[in-house]
Amino acid sequence: MSYSAGASLPPPSRDLSRSCAVVGLGETDYRQDYQAAREAARNRDPDYRPCTPEGLALKAFERALDDSGLQRKDIDGLSVSFLYGGPDARSTANLLGVQPRQFVDSIGIMAGPLPAACAAIAQGKCDTVALVYAVATRAQGRKFGGALHRENAAPASYYYYHPWGWSSQAAHWAFAWQHYMATYGVTEEDLASVAIQMRRNAMATDHAIMHKPLTMEDYLASRYVVRPLHLYDLCLVNDGGVCLILRRADMSSGLPHSPVLLGGWGEAVVGCNKMDTLVRHRLRPQFQEAGRQALDMAGLTLSDVQHFECYDASTNHLVNHLEGHGFTAPGEGLEFCKSGEMAVGGSLPVNTAGGMLSGSYMHGWNHVAEITRQLRHEAGPRQIEGVEVSMFSLAQTDRVHPLIFMRGNSP
Amino acid sequence: MTTTRPDRILGPGHDEFWNWCARGELRLQCCDDCAELAWPVVQSCEHCGSNSFQWQAMTGKGTLVSWCRFDHDYYKGLLDMPYWTILVELDEGPLFVSNPLSIPEEELALGLAVSLAFQDCEDAGGAFKLPVFKKT
Repeated sequence: MSYSAGASLPPPSRDLSRSCAVVGLGETDYRQDYQAAREAARNRDPDYRPCTPEGLALKAFERALDDSGLQRKDIDGLSVSFLYGGPDARSTANLLGVQPRQFVDSIGIMAGPLPAACAAIAQGKCDTVALVYAVATRAQGRKFGGALHRENAAPASYYYYHPWGWSSQAAHWAFAWQHYMATYGVTEEDLASVAIQMRRNAMATDHAIMHKPLTMEDYLASRYVVRPLHLYDLCLVNDGGVCLILRRADMSSGLPHSPVLLGGWGEAVVGCNKMDTLVRHRLRPQFQEAGRQALDMAGLTLSDVQHFECYDASTNHLVNHLEGHGFTAPGEGLEFCKSGEMAVGGSLPVNTAGGMLSGSYMHGWNHVAEITRQLRHEAGPRQIEGVEVSMFSLAQTDRVHPLIFMRGNSP
Repeated sequence: MTTTRPDRILGPGHDEFWNWCARGELRLQCCDDCAELAWPVVQSCEHCGSNSFQWQAMTGKGTLVSWCRFDHDYYKGLLDMPYWTILVELDEGPLFVSNPLSIPEEELALGLAVSLAFQDCEDAGGAFKLPVFKKT
């Protein structure tokens, strides 16, 4: 069976490995923006101005540019990802004050913008791409289930089962988790360990949204969204923007920070039997295939990975990533978490800034931002000592897309 | 009693599925070329790309693969909260999202044998019969 049918990325190629590097990083003030929105809602503040995708994108871009030590005139490529609506690429260039010679197609979530930009650079279309992403998810009151999803606007599983009252991303993860519990004899208390670990990681991260300690009692007392998943099993909903500046590797030295090289990528999609693949196999065939592609491209093996960031739409989905790629055997991911292996100082630190569960719901962009910080060795109290190789894994309900990064030479 | 449900997807292919339900039969598309069953309704086979199908009758027997209870009201008051949904592996192979009919919560378990039933429902497209599952 082919897992690459319908793939949308440039094919992984060893020639492209390490050919470009992240040299600039900008993020918005997730925590302050989240608190301001909640406070304004509580006080019904008439003067409060909600975040806009334009404002978030501009702030992230200006911070990334400043961080990179480059000038606006150096930006000759632009990739724009307004996932839930925003200006088109040309208008965004005007907004940011840049004049790119190349616009790179973007996807929205962190499912391909870096490989697309890397391929454009390799083809000589540009040397330095600003990749800008922003969402005003909370400000726009976006919902994640029910009649929102209509035919052809999303995978069929998002809308087809409306007559039975089954929809939402949470419902996908709930089916997978219930099956997992019944298969491996684990409990909600076991899964709580993932939410608690992500909260601890967020508490060591200034810009993470959730800083309040999370206890087992808090977790078990929290409301169910789709039982057996509790509120704390599901990712945050917040506004924010991220900008990454990707540059030809041979032009990436002499800048303020160590370059973070893009080493490899992969992609595998679910072509058929989606519910079976998701619920009973937890995307393992896709994780295996896409992970192999990415590691092959980078010339590395799984044991070279010292830091793992994965798309934690839910706590149990984080475990799917761990087990799917083979960091643990199927059924052993929760023990791995409970024994502290996912913490900084453990054998494989995971989502060290709190991921999307307790850090910020930036659709994978937050994970790549954290990888950039870790590989620069600028992660402060949560720095993984001596980290040289990080892996990111994106997985939605029907696609897996990992990225491999490595630390470049010091400036 | 007829209950109101969120709207079905209707149109070519989908209508045939619901028409069979109206006659008290659960039928799924079976690919003429590779004999794979499809669910949900497709316009072309996910396995081989063919667009030629027969509507094959299911026995209505299956076993439970998973289940979850909706506590969050995604449909904004349309359904009585909370409610259960189940994932059934039909004996013929496909996994089918449905609702349990009179299955006590404590009996929901991996491998539980279930059988097809139909429930009278309506949506914007009119009255229809919804395939659900009871304990065998």
